[in-house]
Amino acid sequence: MSKLEETSKKLSAASCKSYQNPYEYLDWPEQLDREQWFFSEELISIYGSPEYESLSESQKKQLSFFEAVNFFSLNIHGEKPLVEGLARRLYSRELKDYADYLHHFLDEENKHMIYFGGFCNRYAGKIYRDKKLQIPRDYEAGEEDFLFFAKVMIFEEIVDVYNLRMAADERLENTSRKINRIHHLDEARHLVFGRQITEHLYEKYSKEWCSETIERLREYLGNYLVATWKEYYNPDVYKDAGLNSPYELMERAWKSQDRIALRQQVSASLIKYLRERNLIGEEIQL
Amino acid sequence: MKSEAEFRSELRKWIVNKNGKIKAEDLKDDTAIIEQRIISSLQLMDLILELEKLSEEALDVEQLKPGVFKNIDSICHNFYKGESNA
Ligand SMILES: [Fe+2]
Ligand SMILES: [Fe+2]
Repeated sequence: MSKLEETSKKLSAASCKSYQNPYEYLDWPEQLDREQWFFSEELISIYGSPEYESLSESQKKQLSFFEAVNFFSLNIHGEKPLVEGLARRLYSRELKDYADYLHHFLDEENKHMIYFGGFCNRYAGKIYRDKKLQIPRDYEAGEEDFLFFAKVMIFEEIVDVYNLRMAADERLENTSRKINRIHHLDEARHLVFGRQITEHLYEKYSKEWCSETIERLREYLGNYLVATWKEYYNPDVYKDAGLNSPYELMERAWKSQDRIALRQQVSASLIKYLRERNLIGEEIQL
Repeated sequence: MKSEAEFRSELRKWIVNKNGKIKAEDLKDDTAIIEQRIISSLQLMDLILELEKLSEEALDVEQLKPGVFKNIDSICHNFYKGESNA
């Protein structure tokens, strides 16, 4: 049995053990008291900016609510294509040995969207727009599967750092904190699978790829990492929180030294993984 | 409200800046910016936000077809909402 088969067996067993009914885990209070933190203050996208400092405590908490809605929304925008991609690969020749685990993966991502979507729709009456567009293109053998799992891994690794911090944050409103906690518990397994399958597919196929393809992949994954982070800075959030010049604010927050340092710190372990396998270049401008 | 000429010129400046390699004089109104990989699929999100900023209006991204980003002409045609002075 290969290492990945063994891992997927173990993960399947763990998933069975922590199988959840998504309609029982949360109580969903009728209304939320907005005078609470819904998102860890230090993770708020404009934290540390003059605009942030000028807000009252109550306004900061209002903003934290919309930041949480954005975080949950961007999770949904990541999970929808993930569920699609997993469904497409279920029992495919390439992944048939891991089908049992793919069933759990798919099931768990669907439940996550029930939590995230449940929060956004109930308390904000909406999910923020997805601003990503896909342009179809051709792939070499194995390239599309590799890219699918590599992108999922990048997206999930960043989310998980946020989940972990917020699950541990005692200031957080209970529903938001519980969603972060349950997501982290499932994601811990997805991350193990994600790193291993990404490596497995790369080792299996990259020898056949021409150097141009590999260069393009490296550039793409670096850009994907940056684009993934950009979704955390959403002008729609700033508009909803009543802040002025939301687009300019987004650009300034993105470029602030403090936020660059946060992005580097949060992505450090992921970048180390990618660099050690030569999957991204040195010149990533986070 | 910006004139169409201003809209075009700001858009051109933004694309040149984002790409970092192309010269402004090489970027024509009908240069295929996606096909020639002047703007990558991942930079489309930035472009959407820039267009929202320029047109002062949120875009309905779900309804967008990638074809609208073919070149500067098609972008202006699809997203410039003011009086046309062309
Ligand atoms: Fe998830
Ligand atoms: Fe996941």
